[in-house]
Amino acid sequence: MLNTIKTLTAVRAISGREKAVSDKLLKLIAPHVDNVRSDAMGSLIAFKKGTGKDGERKSRMLCAHMDEIGFLVTFIDDNGYLRIAPIGGINFVAATYSLVEFANGTKGILVPESGTAPADLRAEKFYIDIGAKDKKEAEKKVKIGDYCAVEGRVERLAGKRIAGRPLDDRIGCAMLIKIAEALKEAPCEDDVYFVFSVQEEVGIRGARTAAYGIDPDSALCFDITGTGDAIGSKPMACSVGGGAAIKIKDASVICDVEITEQLISLAKEKGIKYQCEILLHGGTDTASIQASRAGVRAGAISVPTRYIHSGFEMLDLNDVQAGISLTLAWLGAK
Amino acid sequence: MMYNGKELIKELSLAFGPSGCEDGVRELIKSQIDGVCDEMYCDRAGNLIAVVHGQGIDYDLAVNSPDRRPDRVMICAHMDEVGFMITDVTDAGYLKFGTVGGIDPRVLCGRPVCVGDENSRVSGVIASKAIHLQSREERGKSTPINKMYIDIGAKDGEDARKYADIGSFGTFVSDFVSFGKDGKYMKGKALDDRCGCALMIELMRAIKDKPFDRSFDLYFAFTRCEEIGVSGATVAANSIQPSTAIILESTAVADIAGVDKSRRVAELGEGGAISLADRSTIYDMAIVNFALGVAEKYGIKCQVKKYVSGGNDAGNVQRCGVGVTPLALSMPTRYLHSASNVSCYDDYVAMRELVEAMLRDWRFYK
Repeated sequence: MLNTIKTLTAVRAISGREKAVSDKLLKLIAPHVDNVRSDAMGSLIAFKKGTGKDGERKSRMLCAHMDEIGFLVTFIDDNGYLRIAPIGGINFVAATYSLVEFANGTKGILVPESGTAPADLRAEKFYIDIGAKDKKEAEKKVKIGDYCAVEGRVERLAGKRIAGRPLDDRIGCAMLIKIAEALKEAPCEDDVYFVFSVQEEVGIRGARTAAYGIDPDSALCFDITGTGDAIGSKPMACSVGGGAAIKIKDASVICDVEITEQLISLAKEKGIKYQCEILLHGGTDTASIQASRAGVRAGAISVPTRYIHSGFEMLDLNDVQAGISLTLAWLGAK
Repeated sequence: MMYNGKELIKELSLAFGPSGCEDGVRELIKSQIDGVCDEMYCDRAGNLIAVVHGQGIDYDLAVNSPDRRPDRVMICAHMDEVGFMITDVTDAGYLKFGTVGGIDPRVLCGRPVCVGDENSRVSGVIASKAIHLQSREERGKSTPINKMYIDIGAKDGEDARKYADIGSFGTFVSDFVSFGKDGKYMKGKALDDRCGCALMIELMRAIKDKPFDRSFDLYFAFTRCEEIGVSGATVAANSIQPSTAIILESTAVADIAGVDKSRRVAELGEGGAISLADRSTIYDMAIVNFALGVAEKYGIKCQVKKYVSGGNDAGNVQRCGVGVTPLALSMPTRYLHSASNVSCYDDYVAMRELVEAMLRDWRFYK
């Protein structure tokens, strides 16, 4: 599991420019499914046919987003400094003085203008220093319209806990890979679509067209969720290590009650550690899928995570494993 | 009467078409594209759609294959403009109003407007309490819209209602003027997005005059209600289901005094502005690079929009059905959403040439 996570976090795939991670996911999932395609927006869609009879099989969509938050270069000044616009909900306090990486290997430091008060830390106050001596040298490495993101890395901490970025949502992608692997050994009756969606971080965009194309009977989303267990967190009955988080609602969606109840009773029956997730701020692809076409029954299994959208998102691999087991039970894997 | 070039932009600019009341603009466009398209219809949302079929061997193959429709490319511009709606008529005959679309209240006072239904449209002036009657606090602030009114010279409320009752629409009244060196700058209302409409009209005529082989059908969508976010373009894209959409728009520029270079969006006179990302859309690099490549190949001026700001129909169009690849090409325009938009005619010509060249070279994209 840790190796898969490391592979997936090693490349940058900022919203709208997901090719690098899409290529890796294609390699990882292809051996376990019947076919793989991309849609017009770039979401990767893998299909595994179920063992049930024709006409009796349902179609189930499992979705995790493969994009991450980052920055877009909008201007290069005479001194070779880069100005940026944020792509997705950047926490600028957390990103200050971080190392950023470009697709071509160029590295730089994200720096606030000297003397900026902490309360004023926003995109306009930042620049990226790639060490270029002037505009001409900078333009050899970077051009307007290029993307970059804070460096990816994953570190093992105590027990089964890991920290790094972007675990939002490469952890969900890794879960889908593991589920596809498991289904090869223990297949299920229904058809399963594995969707690695694009552009979640900028407004849950990619999952919408993917769901439209698939037109599934039901769907589960895999993403991270906030917790109430850090110092100063708002009250939330969800904690790292507390088990797979079955989403009841977030700010974008109220999950299908039948799916939610199914997941809870399956967790109880199989002795899988779980908790209920009610996320007051933030949305997920679940909402786009639910409202696609004539409506799709949609739920979500989340991984409780601390320090979201910082350079070190922290989660517990036991929760991840619980989420995988619960999904396999939901799919009815033999 | 057929209009060309700047005359066409002028006539479109003068037409009355706030969001939700685009009939006048639509009728003008219809009269200008008569005979240069294969089909023309209005969809249920009120968008005007004109279809120009493809031609050539590849197109015939696509038409005759049993399971395939030819590919579809949509080009769209919105017909509507920002304006006003009458919300109340006072007993003294003054009209209270709200804005249709985003207008900075500070650009309103003293502006000539026209309001009312098609058959009874009248001139008026936006007014507010005179400076010598304002309290000390009021003087320091810009007058809010609910303290302004439109004076149409009515003798009382009953008289005013004959011309412009509650719910009727209004727009700025603004002459179309050419100015600057060789008259290359244009000033008028609603250049956002009537320049896009004019471009589509002239493009259809150019294709009729000098036909070329294309394996796809072209759908020209003149859309409604962009300025209020309702996005007629979404309905158009959902019914047309194109693979690609070129959205012709206007963009703010901020190329003016006092704006730091790093915060400028685009420059007048440097050609159409291609968006990489804005608040509604992250664009696909394949089509952006195709557009930039075509511009370079034919020496057509074109620029990349530098600052991430604004949003347009591209976002909604991108997420229709199984997904559509959008390209946003915008006319750099100063003083958007005011009575006096300012753009450069050279940019219009460059955009028209670029879109036509892209369509001619489409096989290099797909």
